[in-house]
Amino acid sequence: MKNNKGRAISPGYAAVYLILILWSLTTIFPLAWSVMNSFKDKKMIYSNSFALPLGEAFSLENYRNIFAGYDILRAYRNSFIISGSVAAAVILLSGMAAYILCRYRFRGWTLLNLLLYAGMMFPIYSTIIPVMRMQAKWGIVNSPSVGANLLSVILPQIAGNMSFAIIVLIGQIRALPVELEEAAYMEGCNMFQTYFRVVFPLCKPSMVTVGIFSFLWSYNDLFTQMFFLRTRENWAITILLNNIASKEGVNYGALFSSVTLIVIPVLVVYLFLNKYIIEGMTVGAVKG
Amino acid sequence: MKKRMTVILAAVMAAALAAPAFAEGVTINVTTTYAGEDSNAQIFKDSVAAWEEESGNKVEDSSATSDESFKSRIITDFEAGSEPDVLFFFNGVDSNQFVEQGKVVSIDEIREEYPDYASNMKDELLGASPVDGVNYSVPVNGYWEGMFVNKEVLEAAGVEVPGNETTWDEFLEICGKIKDAGYTPIAASLQEIPHYWFEYAIYNFQSPETHNTMPESVDDEYGQAWVDGLNDIKALYEAGYFPENTLTATDAETFQLFTSDKAAFLIDGSWKIGGITEAVDDIENFTVTHVPGKGDRKTTDEIGGLSMGYYITRKAWDDEDKRDAAVSFVSYMTSDEVVSGFAGVSATALKEGASPDVSEFNSLQNDALTYTASFTGISPAVQDNLSAAAREPIFADMASIVNGDVDAADAVAAVLEANAE
Amino acid sequence: MGAQIYKNKKLIWVFLLPAFLFMVIYLYYPFIQNILNSFMHIKYMGTAGGEWNTPWYKNYLALMSDPKMKIALKNTVITIIATIVGQVGIALVLALLVSNIKKGSGFFRTVFFFPIVVSATALGLLFNLVFLYDKGMINQFLQFVGYLNRESNQLIDWKSKHAMFTMLTPVIWQYVGFYFVILLTGLASIPADLYEAATIDGASRWQCVRYISIPLLRNSIGTCVILAVTGALKVFDLPWTMFVNGMSNTWLTGTYMYSKVYSDVDYASAIAVVIVIIGVILSAAVNRIFRQNVDYQA
Repeated sequence: MKNNKGRAISPGYAAVYLILILWSLTTIFPLAWSVMNSFKDKKMIYSNSFALPLGEAFSLENYRNIFAGYDILRAYRNSFIISGSVAAAVILLSGMAAYILCRYRFRGWTLLNLLLYAGMMFPIYSTIIPVMRMQAKWGIVNSPSVGANLLSVILPQIAGNMSFAIIVLIGQIRALPVELEEAAYMEGCNMFQTYFRVVFPLCKPSMVTVGIFSFLWSYNDLFTQMFFLRTRENWAITILLNNIASKEGVNYGALFSSVTLIVIPVLVVYLFLNKYIIEGMTVGAVKG
Repeated sequence: MKKRMTVILAAVMAAALAAPAFAEGVTINVTTTYAGEDSNAQIFKDSVAAWEEESGNKVEDSSATSDESFKSRIITDFEAGSEPDVLFFFNGVDSNQFVEQGKVVSIDEIREEYPDYASNMKDELLGASPVDGVNYSVPVNGYWEGMFVNKEVLEAAGVEVPGNETTWDEFLEICGKIKDAGYTPIAASLQEIPHYWFEYAIYNFQSPETHNTMPESVDDEYGQAWVDGLNDIKALYEAGYFPENTLTATDAETFQLFTSDKAAFLIDGSWKIGGITEAVDDIENFTVTHVPGKGDRKTTDEIGGLSMGYYITRKAWDDEDKRDAAVSFVSYMTSDEVVSGFAGVSATALKEGASPDVSEFNSLQNDALTYTASFTGISPAVQDNLSAAAREPIFADMASIVNGDVDAADAVAAVLEANAE
Repeated sequence: MGAQIYKNKKLIWVFLLPAFLFMVIYLYYPFIQNILNSFMHIKYMGTAGGEWNTPWYKNYLALMSDPKMKIALKNTVITIIATIVGQVGIALVLALLVSNIKKGSGFFRTVFFFPIVVSATALGLLFNLVFLYDKGMINQFLQFVGYLNRESNQLIDWKSKHAMFTMLTPVIWQYVGFYFVILLTGLASIPADLYEAATIDGASRWQCVRYISIPLLRNSIGTCVILAVTGALKVFDLPWTMFVNGMSNTWLTGTYMYSKVYSDVDYASAIAVVIVIIGVILSAAVNRIFRQNVDYQA
């Protein structure tokens, strides 16, 4: 098979690449535009946001502002503690629930499924106030301990990502051949062993996907952070940068440097975890 | 900046001599809106550090940029019992909830024990609560709303900058000439921020004495003023004096028309001076003047006031350890010296008046000082009396009002009905 | 599917409980409060409900005759269709294409993810500039190619003339990458030997896609459609940044709810309840459609 593809790129392939390249141009552009503008003085952004930051237009002022007055490393650390914990907890708990909801039928199954869809729809604005009252009662809001404050963000975020994760994983587990689980059962595995030894490893790409998105949404969830992370030593990166960029609605320079600083770690995490998805891919990809 | 630091240092030393030394430090929780790129955030930080140094106490600062979610957080905090010890917050309807529940301490009560508390301020300007007319907060610096002018556009159109005597009719004439010259007379996004135009348009049918009175109904004198004012905005819209896309443009977009010499006038708050300074190359090209008036309102009658102040919460007051510290903190932050540092070109409630450091003022700031010096009357913004829900029929629907889909009288009636709830 | 091994259900709660406990405490319990709020009169966000509305279903009554809600529902239906066709459709095509190439697939996987990580505020700013009235990217381009008259500075007000298109393009575009990643993950779990066997039998590449990839992606596509429907019902950030206050009649259920969150808490709560009810019904329907003949065909 490889032989007859050895020729120059066929028209079909050319068309495929053309489409992919066109789409990637649209996706690269906004990020490149944001990064580009982060190196420009705000006045330059007004006059022409599409010009390259070269020569006189180049400015590190936006970054200097951010690094001068703020402990950005501490904020990154807080962010990674929060979002890492959220992603890990979501992967662990949603996978187990998805497995049961997918493979078992029991009383209340329909209800749980409906609740699952509902859980994805609740706007954060309608749940935040009761959550805040509850957590204030437990003493983890406005606490002198940084750990407690971070926890007050982690817990609601775990819940907030759960429905989405379970729904994605149900779709994944449903596509797995049930024969593998039956074989495991024949060999005497109980429910726990079947899940952790057979199902979980097979779902690894989906687990990673779910983890990436939970991480991403937790990381970007400014609203919850604003309610629970109040003092500087508690700030996560998104709220810190929002604080810098928000006050002056006209200061796009601060905004774009903030966007850049927020995006970079997420892309690093994505690139790092992406290889687990690709691992599955390369096995499954159609070979040329 | 140097000068500002000396002011603060002087304040520190003055206060250090006056205040008793605390044997042991106390930590108080303070929440303010001096955060983000608020031009006063840095002064606040420096002042806090200076107070900490002087008093030996510590401040746990949970300040945040003020927006709607910040306000909800504060209200929820009060309800859940996790409020700060000292709060710098709005003194209008936004404070009603915790005032009604008695969660902040009135100035009179504080004065029973600390007679000198806020004694450097004019009591009538402190900003009494809409709930009971009692003073709870001590203000720092106020705001005013004025008309910023792009002089280059006016020059190109061959018209003069409107002055203290310019009337509304003359203003319309000026706008016409600017439009004929190919420029946009007024930079405003009626879709997003019609607030300033609303305030002045209805002010034009009232006076500083009557402006801040809520109409009882759409038919009474005040209600009629509101309807007439809205119809004036509609007339401006129909004359084409707003940007062509004022119903779809964002405020940032129309602001850019103003700063890039395409539009002539911009009504905005005193806080916008920083934004204009940041956005333009030649600040000399900009100035600020009065919004031309008609009827009982003189052109030099302004909108302005002191809308925020420092509260001491009941929680801190009842805590023997924190009471002294909280009072000392607020006294320090509202001392003549510190307030002058914050004030810039804005008004204060100080008996002695503020003495801002003018040596580093740019031309627009100097113009602003001249401008504030010529006020003949001042009234707070009447829209601050409206609940958030009541604002909607006018502020979220201005587009429908000016394009004729909604009658101005119906919109005012809807506002008054929602506000009555 | 009724395999023997799934008859013993004694311990399933051990797996279900942790996940649902989180959701009960942090989602269902607060949302019950929200339902109660929708029947009450609440002054500010953050305060507890005072007294009950009279009649208690007043907000729902008002919703039924609220012209803005009607606009929001109509626009949301358009958005749902557009997101299913646009987002999931484009994502599916892209995922299939990327899985069929060798060189550069890692590159595309990475860059297609970009739009999801950039904040809605920044994207809103960008698209405001793209569709800007005067000197916007598109208007400049149209003047350049001569579609609009450059001398008289003829312009198109995109946010007024083609408002829905202008709003939906960025919304759809932003989340294609999200569905792309999910579908790609689904493709990754299709066993390679299926393709190998098919190619040995002489199947063309297109036949492999048509008869192996797409049928086996059914579950992932179903998941994506559910996420797209619920996403369309609650999306608000990017539309709000570009179309403040539902300008040019562009209300969506999400933006309409958001516009009331701080100003009219109980009314917003009622809108939230409506959104959740519609979302649950549609999700259940989608799930039923995609679950038919689910049997694994390998």
